[in-house]
Amino acid sequence: MGMLEEIEKLKEEATASLARIKTPDDVENFRLKFLSRKGSLAQLFEEMKQIPKEEKPAVGKLLNEVRTQLESDFESARQSAESEKKLELSRIDLSVPGRKRYIGRKHPLTQTAEEIKRIFTGIGFGIADGPEIEDDYHNFEALNFPPDHPARDMQDTFFVKYPPAKEGNGTGKYVLRTHTSGVQIRVMENNKPPVRVIMPGRVYRNEAISSRSYCLFHQVEGLYVDKNVSLAELKGTITYFARELFGSGVRLRFRPSFFPFTEPSAEVDVNCFICSGKGCRICKHTGWLEIMGCGMVDPNVFKFVGYDEKEVSGYAFGMGIERITLLKYGIDDIRLFFDNDVRFLNQF
Amino acid sequence: MKISRKWIEQLVDLNGISDEDIATRLTMVGVEVESYENLSEKYNGFVVGSVMEVVKHPNADKLRLCQVDIAGEIKSIICGAPNVAAGQKVPVGLVGALVPHDQHDPDGKPFQLTRAKIRGIESEGMICSEYELALGDDKSGIMVFDDDAPTGKPLAEYLGLDDTIFEVSLTPNRADCLSHLGIARELSAAFSRKLSSRKPILHETGEQIGKLAKVEVSEPELCPRYSARVVKGIKIGRSPKWLKVAVEKAGMRSINNVVDATNFVMLELGQPLHAFDLNLIAGHKIVVRKPLESEAKFATLDGKERELGREMLMICDKESAIAIAGVMGGANSEINPATADILIESANFSPSSVRRTSKRLGLSTEASYRFERGVDPNLTLTALDRVTEIIVQTGGGTVAQGVIDVAAAKFAPRKIELHVDQANRLLGTRLASGEMRRLLESIEIHCEKKSETGFVCFAPTFRGDLEREVDLIEEVGRLFGYEKIEEQHQTRLVFDTRFTGTGVLDDLKAYLAGSGFNEMVTNSLQQTEVAGYHKENFVRIANPISEDMAAMRTSLLPGALQVVKLNLSYGLKDLKLFEMGRIYSTNSGSDGASFAENEMLSILLTGAADPISFDRSGAEFDIFDLKSEVERLLRHLNLDNWDFIPYDSTKEYKHALKLFMNGSEVGIFGQVSDEALGQFSIRQSVQFAELSLAEILAARKKTDKFRPLPKFPFASFDLAFIVDSNTPVGSLMNSLKSLAGNLFRDISVFDIYSGSGIPEGKTSVAFSVILGSDERTLNDGDIAGFIENAESKLAKEFSAALRKQKN
Repeated sequence: MGMLEEIEKLKEEATASLARIKTPDDVENFRLKFLSRKGSLAQLFEEMKQIPKEEKPAVGKLLNEVRTQLESDFESARQSAESEKKLELSRIDLSVPGRKRYIGRKHPLTQTAEEIKRIFTGIGFGIADGPEIEDDYHNFEALNFPPDHPARDMQDTFFVKYPPAKEGNGTGKYVLRTHTSGVQIRVMENNKPPVRVIMPGRVYRNEAISSRSYCLFHQVEGLYVDKNVSLAELKGTITYFARELFGSGVRLRFRPSFFPFTEPSAEVDVNCFICSGKGCRICKHTGWLEIMGCGMVDPNVFKFVGYDEKEVSGYAFGMGIERITLLKYGIDDIRLFFDNDVRFLNQF
Repeated sequence: MKISRKWIEQLVDLNGISDEDIATRLTMVGVEVESYENLSEKYNGFVVGSVMEVVKHPNADKLRLCQVDIAGEIKSIICGAPNVAAGQKVPVGLVGALVPHDQHDPDGKPFQLTRAKIRGIESEGMICSEYELALGDDKSGIMVFDDDAPTGKPLAEYLGLDDTIFEVSLTPNRADCLSHLGIARELSAAFSRKLSSRKPILHETGEQIGKLAKVEVSEPELCPRYSARVVKGIKIGRSPKWLKVAVEKAGMRSINNVVDATNFVMLELGQPLHAFDLNLIAGHKIVVRKPLESEAKFATLDGKERELGREMLMICDKESAIAIAGVMGGANSEINPATADILIESANFSPSSVRRTSKRLGLSTEASYRFERGVDPNLTLTALDRVTEIIVQTGGGTVAQGVIDVAAAKFAPRKIELHVDQANRLLGTRLASGEMRRLLESIEIHCEKKSETGFVCFAPTFRGDLEREVDLIEEVGRLFGYEKIEEQHQTRLVFDTRFTGTGVLDDLKAYLAGSGFNEMVTNSLQQTEVAGYHKENFVRIANPISEDMAAMRTSLLPGALQVVKLNLSYGLKDLKLFEMGRIYSTNSGSDGASFAENEMLSILLTGAADPISFDRSGAEFDIFDLKSEVERLLRHLNLDNWDFIPYDSTKEYKHALKLFMNGSEVGIFGQVSDEALGQFSIRQSVQFAELSLAEILAARKKTDKFRPLPKFPFASFDLAFIVDSNTPVGSLMNSLKSLAGNLFRDISVFDIYSGSGIPEGKTSVAFSVILGSDERTLNDGDIAGFIENAESKLAKEFSAALRKQKN
C-alpha cells in the first residue's frame, strides 16, 4: 500500500472515530490515538522521511491537509463533548441543602453596649475603664456619699473581705462596685479637663435574683467636663443618643431626681414603645420607661478630684445595658442574659 | 409612702384637679408617683349590710344561709364564716363586684362575684373578711362593723375610703416630703394654690408643766432639741373611725387613740412623736444620754430584747432607759389600757446617730427613717400642739400649762447667695431674676435682692438639703420645669487621644462570632469551693446573697460548664462558645493586700465538629479542633511567635497544652477532665481554652511596613518518614523547619498512618513542604539536596527512615 492510500485510510478511520466522540474520555482517547506525539498521524510524518524524494511533495501536501482537517474537526468534537459534560452537571440535584456550619453571634448585651459606644464615640466621647473591686473612696466617698448617709441605701452593696488573709476585719474598705461612676473619679484624678468619656463595665448589687433583678449587671457611664457645660447641653446629648438608639420618633422626659454626685439631677424616661404610651405592665401603666439617670457634676465631686468648680462644669449620666436591652426586645426575664441558652443567643 | 388625697385636701385646695394631673405634676417636680388608686372604684359593688336572719344551710353543716338587708332589698347570701350572727352590720359584696383577694387562692388573686349556687341554693352576694377586702390580714371570719353603721351605705364611703391613694417614691434628699404637709407644699407651688395656715387649738388648763416633769439633755449634739407636753387624766381606748382610717390608709396599724394620734401627726407633719406613760417615768424626769456599761440590754415595745451599743443615744428616766432615741420606745414605759397621764416627746435627733443605731440594731422604723433623713428642728412645737389637740379630742384629759423645750441653739434659716447668671449658665436657660425669685418663694424660700444679679436666699429649716448655691439652682430648674429647658447641641470638639478604650476586644468578638462561636456572659460570683478549686488566693464576699455566690471567680471554666449543662438539659449538644470576662484574685503586697483583675478569653467546643450534613460524618470536636481554633486566633492577631507546651493531667484537664509567649505562660487549653465535667454531670467531652487577653494583646505586632511579594515561585513537594510511633510529630516538623533555614515557607502534615504495610511499632508521617528563595527559582537539584539532608538529619535525630516515593 502506498503512502497516499495509507493517508486516505487514516483519514477515513479518524473521521469515523470523530463521529463517535461523546465524552471527554473519548476526546482524550482520540487525541492519544491520532494526534499525540506518538499517535498515528505523527507516525505517518515519521514514515514520510523514508519515502523517495520525488514522492515527498504530494505525500507531504496530503498529509498536511489531512492534519489540518483532523485538528479542526477534533476541536469542534472536543467542544461539543465539553458542553455534553455541562449538561450532565445540570442534572445534579441542587435541592440538596448546603453543608451546615456553626453560626456565631455576639451576646445581645455586647451588641447593645457596642451600639451605645458607637453613638457616643461618634460625637467625640472616648472610652475608659476601671476596676470592679473598688475601694469605698472611689465607689462612694468621692462621689459625695458621706459615711452614714441614707444615700448609701440606694444601692445594696457587696463588701469584700479585707484583708483577705485575715478573714476580713477591715471589711468595708473594698466593695464590688455598685456603679461605674467610680471610673469618673479615676478619670478626673488622672486627667486634666476637658474630659469627655464613656465608661462601660460590670457592676454588682446585693439583690435577690429574680426575673427583674440579677446580682450583677452592666452599665455605661458618661462624663463631660469643660468650661460652661450646661444642663441644656446634657439634654441635647441625651436626646440625640436616645433617638439614635430607639429611633427618631422617641419622646423623652427629664424629671428631677437625686444622686449624690450630681446637682441638679434628673431621671430620663422615654415614651413606652411597647404600649405607645397608653399604659401597660412594662411601664407600670405610666406610659413612660426609665432609661437613665443624669445630672450636672456636683461641686463636691470636683473638690475631691481637684478640679476648680469655678473654672469648669460638667455633666454625667449612667444607664443599664440590661435594662435597655430588655426594653428594646421586650425580654421579660433578666436571667435569660446569664443562662446563655443558645436558642436565646441565636435570636440576636 | 402612701399619700391620701382627702388628707392633702385638708392642707391645700385641690378642687378641680384630677388625680392624674396630681400624679404627673408631682413626678415632674421630682416627687415620683409610682402609682395611684381610687379606692371608691376599688370598692364598687360593696355596701354595708345588716344581717336579719341566719339559718343553717340545709345541705351543708358548715354553711349558713343569711338574709341580709342592704337598704331597699333583702339579699339571700350563703356564708361559711363561724362568726356570722343576726343583728351584725357587715361588708357585703354584690354580684359583679371585684373581691380584692380570694381567700382560697394561695396567691390571694382577685375574683369577680357571680350569681352562684352553693350546694343547691343560690347566693346573691358575699359577706367578706378583712383579708378579702384587702383591709388587713384577718381571714378567720367576716368583718363586723359598729352597730351604728348605716345599712346600704357604699363601703368605701362608710370606711372613709372614698379617696385616692398615691404611692410616692422619694429620693433620700427630700426628707421634707415625708409627710402630707410636705407633699401639699409641693402641690401648692405646682398649682399655685394656697397652703392652709390653720393652727391647733389648745386649752392649757392643768398645772404648770415644770411641776410635773423635767427634761435634761446630756448629749446636745445628738439631740439638738427636746420638747414635751404633759396631758393628765386621759382615757385610753379605740381610736375614732376617722383617726383609725387615716392611719391605716397610710399603711400603719391602728393601736389606740394616743399612739394613733402620734402616728397621725407624724404622717401629717413629718415629726416623729412618742408618748410615755408619765407615771412609769421614774422621778418624772427624762434624761437624754448614752447607756451606761451596765445597760447592755433593752426591751423595746415590740417585745424584743435589744443589745445596746455604748454610742447609742437613749431616752432615760431617773433610773434606766425607757426608749431608744429616734428609733423605738421601750416596753417599760409604754402606753397601756390603764394609762391616765402621759408625756409626749417631740424631739430632734442627729441623723447620723439615729442611722448608726438603727443599722446596728437592724431595726428601721417610721421614726428612724425620718430622723435619718433629717427632720425640721423647728417642727417640734407645732407637732406637739397638733398631737395634743387630737389626744384631748379623742381621749379627754387636761393639758398642763406650757411646754418643756430644751434646745441647743436657735435654728434659723440658712443664708445662701444665688447668682442669676451662674444659675442660667449651669441650667442653660435665660431666666430673669424676678422669675427665679418667684419660683423659690413658691416653696417658702425667702429671697432678698442683694444686687442687680444676685439674691440672698433663706432656706427654711425644713429644707436641710439646701446648703449651697447649686442646690438652689436645682430648685429653680425643677420648679421652672426641666421639660421647658431647651436642648442645646453646640457641644465643642475635644481633641483627645487619652481615652482610646478597648476596641480591639470588640473586633476580636466579631472575629469569634464570625468563626461560628456564640458569645456567653456568665456570673462572676461563685461558690468558695469552686473558686478555691482553681486558685487559692481568691476574693471573698463578706455579705453574699447565698453560699453559691460567696467568692469571685478564678476561672471562666465553671461558668462555661454551667452553660453547657443548661444547654444539654434542653438537648442542645453541639456548642461552640466563647466568653470574655475578668477573673479575680488577691495579691499579697506590702500594705497587706491588693486585688488583681485579669481579662480572659475562653473558647469552648463540645459535640459534633460539623453539624449534620448530607455527606459529613458526626465526628466529635477533639483537641486538634481546639488547637486549630487557638492557632487561627493567634494568627488572626498577627502573632507569629508562640510555643505550645504539652502539660498532662491537671485537675481541670485530661490533656492540656500551655500557651507560652515570650517565655511567659499566657493560657492553657485542652480536653476538660472527667472530674471537672462530673461536677456538672456532663457526659460528653468538652474542649476548653482559657487565655489571658492582656498578655496576648500586648505581644501583638501591628503590621507597620509592607513586605514585597516574592519574586520567584515556591517549590512544593511531599516527603514521608517511618518513625517509632512515640516520636512527636511536632519535633519532626521543627527539625525539618530548622533544616530549611531561611528557605522555609510552610509545612503541613497530610497523613499519619500505622498498620498494614508499616512495621509493628512504627508510624508513617507524611509532610508537604514548601520552600522558596528571595534570590532565585529553586531547581530540582535544590529539592533533591534538601530531601537528602532531611533523610540523614532525621535518621540521626529520630532514627527515621525516608519512604521512597513511588515512581
